[in-house]
Amino acid sequence: MIRSSSYPLPAEVSPSETQEVISAEPLDVVALLSQAHHPSAGAVVLFSGEVRDSNKGREVDCLEYESYIPLAVKMIREILAEATEKWGLKIAIAQHRIGRLSVGEPAVVVITASAHRREAYEANQHIIHRIKHEVPIWKCEYFSGGGHQWGNNCNC
Amino acid sequence: MKIHVYATLKDYFSPEFELNTVARNTDELKQRLLEINDGARQILDNCRFAIEEGFIDHDHKLKENDTVIIIPPSSGG
Repeated sequence: MIRSSSYPLPAEVSPSETQEVISAEPLDVVALLSQAHHPSAGAVVLFSGEVRDSNKGREVDCLEYESYIPLAVKMIREILAEATEKWGLKIAIAQHRIGRLSVGEPAVVVITASAHRREAYEANQHIIHRIKHEVPIWKCEYFSGGGHQWGNNCNC
Repeated sequence: MKIHVYATLKDYFSPEFELNTVARNTDELKQRLLEINDGARQILDNCRFAIEEGFIDHDHKLKENDTVIIIPPSSGG
């Protein structure tokens, strides 16, 4: 998580270290959202990428994500910092899940807060696009009835 | 030199293994890997290479004690 202000954190807490950007535990979307309020932010945008039950006509049973964590953490923090600078965000949060996920579970959450909605929307799309296409995180789909397939980079 | 591979590359190589032949840069490393399993050619052509927390270029000079991370195209989200 990157915050451009320490609000509402205690001063002694390092904002960038209060939230892991890669998590082996289920993502708590509500808890993440609760950290995204800022007195100067009139707009908060939350994107939650969730496990879908099918892909290209095949029924998906579950997904498994893996990551080269040291580089992924560094890259996500850099992406958040760059977006914060570019769009003047008050708060930027991203968290990506690793491990095995069932249908309906959130795999990635991105939250952006800014003074007005345009910046929050644009920054949010920018952050999730870069996470999906640049950060060393990989998805493996496990299909109902057997078989699995590692995901390829896509434009979705 | 230690090699770590991820995702679809694990269908071609062990997740972690030691390379006993010399590879001075990532181009040579790719050739050594194809000697082990040339079925990985297409995916290796699209991979990036990293050491610790940084990507390396094809002309980066590899050292014998390096641990090289081979990074297939991302598919997060």
